Amino acid sequence: MNQLERPKDEEDQEETDCHHDNSDGTNNNNNNNRRKTVCPGAGEHPLQYNYTFWYSRRTPSRPASSQSYEQNIRQIGSVASVEQFWRFYSHLVRPGDLSGHSDFHLFKEGIKPMWEDESNRSGGKWIIRLRKGLASRFWENIILAMLGEQFMVGEEICGAVVSIRFQEDILSIWNRTSNDQTTTSRIRDTLRRVLNLPTNSIMEYKTHTDSLRDNSSFRNTKISL
Amino acid sequence: MSTGTNEVKSCPIPTRVVTPKDWSQIPDCYSQTPGGTLFSTTPGGTRIIYDRKFLLDCRNSPLARTPPCCLPQIPGVTVPSTHPMGKLQDLKEEAEEEEKDIADDNQFEMDI
Repeated sequence: MNQLERPKDEEDQEETDCHHDNSDGTNNNNNNNRRKTVCPGAGEHPLQYNYTFWYSRRTPSRPASSQSYEQNIRQIGSVASVEQFWRFYSHLVRPGDLSGHSDFHLFKEGIKPMWEDESNRSGGKWIIRLRKGLASRFWENIILAMLGEQFMVGEEICGAVVSIRFQEDILSIWNRTSNDQTTTSRIRDTLRRVLNLPTNSIMEYKTHTDSLRDNSSFRNTKISL
Repeated sequence: MSTGTNEVKSCPIPTRVVTPKDWSQIPDCYSQTPGGTLFSTTPGGTRIIYDRKFLLDCRNSPLARTPPCCLPQIPGVTVPSTHPMGKLQDLKEEAEEEEKDIADDNQFEMDI
């Protein structure tokens, strides 16, 4: 065999016009600067948007800086169809089983899960704090809602994050325009519905500008009841 | 204008008018395209919308089960084997396979 043996799904994708990322994943810059696009394969159900999975981890003792954050976060892969999503998702550890100070991010292709990204500069996020044991289930439900376009806020959704921390876990959903109250209210209401949150549960919103200012993701949020 | 003497008799398209008294009378699949996708015209055009149930059902298709082609290997994060981590998948494969490799179990004990 003078060709690398390739799984069947890869062959299907190469027949489309899109470039297919077929490297073995090793990359000095953690795949962060790649701009290749994936496409739904034959017979697959396309998503409204392509999404990229990211993973990040930080040793808590090391102080967080924008530079170190960018180096600690890496792409896992991008998906353009429901089936591609499941392929990746089924081969990732569930967030509840992650160790240490770790995060999974699922963001629209082209948007980095960073406050400084162009798409995030005027944006913010809703956060929901979860006691231990709930992260895996809630993460799955929030990303299914996002992929399935349940939020109905046009282009506003940027991505979702699940953050595993010491005594609690945190779910976040990022949108483009923090001062668009119609959008943020609709996102909040959709979250209540798709996550089955009790009516008195606290939800917090924080603009990315505020996060940049106090260099913190989850402190000093605005509480919404 | 037709000058022929054969006139085709027109008749209205048969319809049935239903006045539902409540939502339970409307079939579950109303306004949904086969396959479970609700296509609707929203401001800005048609969006591809999937409900949770549909997305979960897609998980069982063979297209969704092959390992992704370029999964990076991150211990404790990515599962490189062809044996995916989903609980549903695990249960299914346990039911299907008579013999369960002991070696497979060891793969999931990850030393962090």
